[in-house]
Amino acid sequence: MSAHDITLSNVSRFYDGVAAVHEVTLHAPPGKVLALLGASGSGKSTLLRLIAGLEPLDGGEIRFGEQLIANARGAAPPEYRRVGVVFQDYALFPHLTAAANVMFGLDKLAREDREREARAWLARVGLERRAGAYPHELSGGEQQRVALARALAAKPLAVLLDEPFSGLDPVLRAELREMTLGVLRETRATALFVTHDADEALYVADNLAIMKGGRVLQAADPRTLYDAPTSADAAAALGPVNILGGMISGARVATPFGAISTDLQEGAPALAVVRADAITLSPGQRARVTDRHPQGATDLLRVEADGVIWRVIASARTAPQIGAQVDVAIDPRGAYVFLR
Amino acid sequence: MTTARLLRPRAPAPWPGLVAILAVIVCAAPAMAVLALALAGPPLATDATSLSLIANSLAGTAALIVLGGGGATLLGAGAALLVTLHDFPGRRVFEWLLALPLAAPVYVLAYGYSALTWAGGPIPINLTGVAGAALVYAVGFYPYVYLAARASFATQSVCALEAARTLGARPFATLTRVALPLARPGIVAGAALAAMEIAADYGAAQHFGVATITTGVFRAWFSHGTPTVALQLAAIVLTGAVFFLVLERRARGRRGYAGGSTRWRPIPLYRLDALAGLAAAAACAMLIGLGALAPLAWLTRLMLMRPIADFAELGGPALNSLALALVGGAITLFIGALVAAGARGGGAGGRLALYAASAGYAAPGAVIALGALTLFGFARDAGLVGGLGTSLALGLLIWTYVARFAAPASQPMEAGLARITRNIAGAARSLGAGPARRMFAVDLPLAAPSVLAGALIVFVEILKELPATLLLRPFDFDTLAVRAYAYASDERLAQSAAPALIVTAAGLAPILLLARRIAAARAGAS
Repeated sequence: MSAHDITLSNVSRFYDGVAAVHEVTLHAPPGKVLALLGASGSGKSTLLRLIAGLEPLDGGEIRFGEQLIANARGAAPPEYRRVGVVFQDYALFPHLTAAANVMFGLDKLAREDREREARAWLARVGLERRAGAYPHELSGGEQQRVALARALAAKPLAVLLDEPFSGLDPVLRAELREMTLGVLRETRATALFVTHDADEALYVADNLAIMKGGRVLQAADPRTLYDAPTSADAAAALGPVNILGGMISGARVATPFGAISTDLQEGAPALAVVRADAITLSPGQRARVTDRHPQGATDLLRVEADGVIWRVIASARTAPQIGAQVDVAIDPRGAYVFLR
Repeated sequence: MTTARLLRPRAPAPWPGLVAILAVIVCAAPAMAVLALALAGPPLATDATSLSLIANSLAGTAALIVLGGGGATLLGAGAALLVTLHDFPGRRVFEWLLALPLAAPVYVLAYGYSALTWAGGPIPINLTGVAGAALVYAVGFYPYVYLAARASFATQSVCALEAARTLGARPFATLTRVALPLARPGIVAGAALAAMEIAADYGAAQHFGVATITTGVFRAWFSHGTPTVALQLAAIVLTGAVFFLVLERRARGRRGYAGGSTRWRPIPLYRLDALAGLAAAAACAMLIGLGALAPLAWLTRLMLMRPIADFAELGGPALNSLALALVGGAITLFIGALVAAGARGGGAGGRLALYAASAGYAAPGAVIALGALTLFGFARDAGLVGGLGTSLALGLLIWTYVARFAAPASQPMEAGLARITRNIAGAARSLGAGPARRMFAVDLPLAAPSVLAGALIVFVEILKELPATLLLRPFDFDTLAVRAYAYASDERLAQSAAPALIVTAAGLAPILLLARRIAAARAGAS
């Protein structure tokens, strides 16, 4: 196992007795992006701070390769961990220029090597012309790029990105996401990427962990997570779903839009969960379209049957009009049953 | 690297607790000694002399707080309402010029007013007693209320005022129903600060012959030889000062009052018509004239009329002042930095350090000096120290300065340290910077401007300090403030003008700094 492997075993962190991170076990393999997805307060940023050494552990252990880095009794100081962090607020040193910020982590090098490295990194993120600018003279996107260059220039074992694009507009966000992924691939650093945006998580992740209430709900590759969630919360984390309570009867749970099959225990209370994109509408009698919102390539529809309203994502060009009577077909690959 | 060497055990840092203990000993001990002795000492003096001294002192201080403090509140709040809500010629200059009277210690203003009036000046009125002191306090301390009220507006009133206008409120209704209630916390905070300063003032009250609690402390100590009464008076003024400080902190909440921490947002101004605009400008100009220009100009005239040879006699006091301000300032800054760092660390230790420093700041200089003298007395009786020689007296004096000014030294540093966010500190660590490198490459450069600001404030405060210096200075050791006071006591105002003006000129520096912050905050408008 290389030192670039980051392993968390039963890691916990409490604030005033409340668990911010609770018995989290995760593995970040080298050269891959592990995305942590969760709402604010789910513990994902705390997890990053634990890995960086900016918070002490209250339980479990963290290893870089075979090397024990932290447990509840002690921890390696962050300055010895070789972990680069891109903070949500970038945390650039306001009294240093962009180049000096990048050079900050290179103090072991000779002066001219340091300057050459910093210039090369700024060029890599497209900022060679802004080397002499101070952080307050840079735009948000430029600051983010300096923060990325600063974190990676020191050749860390791992780089931790805490909602790195959260303050930026969507176009810039997409652009920077591409650039960041490109640079991460080139450096082959282990990357942990925290975000609350499901689309972003799915886009950047080689592996994805969904967090809620300080725990990891499920961790897998994005395709598996999307197609085979292990809980209603995990399913809901990656896109709009419809959830309906019911009972398992005859190896299925009935809904007004059709039944969902399951091999779970007969007679148990259960939740039927259907992704909004796993529903196909066709002209018919079963349900009625009550609402329709354009989203670009797709429309988000609301469809009513027996007093129950579900959301449906349909192709914008073929979606039925408001008021249309429709039949509903559910794709079993996007429909799940979980015990309540 | 082996695991044993890499892992560091988890242990809470002990130093916030140590800082708290140090801050309590240095800043709060003298004031606490006064309180403890007044409570535990002999029962209240009942002889007629002491009783009348106590009664007169209380009455004098109460009258000055009502008249002088009330005047300062009216003037300061009025000025703040004028410049923050209305547009008139010169508003932007008046906005910071209105802070100018803070540069001059009130005893200097008192000398200036005497020179302007009964002491051979052009205005033939007999300005003495309560009326004189109240006038000087009103025009000298209104900036406290002005700055706090102005900051109240700047931070929170924009939307409310706009809402009031869109809801159809006429200007007067906007003023009484929205603007004044919004500014109330600022006005209360400023008024409490002014009251605290009035209760602590010695020079101006003494000059105008008003018996106050602070002058009473001196009289009981020096003239009547009744240290018990002095301690009891000191305990009373200390309690009052702490009350006003708590009132100020409550009213101000966690906001800074100098307008530096928050961005100025343009408030919807009512443009005054030409005549009203001129009247507003004249009112502001008059306030600045009364609070600074007129008395200082007249003192300057007196100084210039004297033969230049007399400047030589100021060399000694100037050097003494400089030495005290440099040495005392350096130590104060060091303690203030510890308090600021401790407060940033949070926790009970940090809070305790902050309270201790605040207690020292609230206590009038005379009270702390008395407390330091009392503690010295204990140490002497216990055989720990010898007599009160020059070096020991200077040591006590510097201790008093540190106790008094650690809080104003730590405040800008707290603000400066707040710039080093948790993530900035984390970024430095994760980039491999150890403690020394973090200190010199990140913390110090980021905090430097605020450390300088704290240094400047403390330097000038020590230069201006009068009552503690009078009580504790070694024999024949005069500072500029003491020399100005001594000449004025001898009714030699012309001779007191030069040292008084030098002290005031030094006081201009922090006011200009404040002015720059006011202007910079406004330049950030968007």
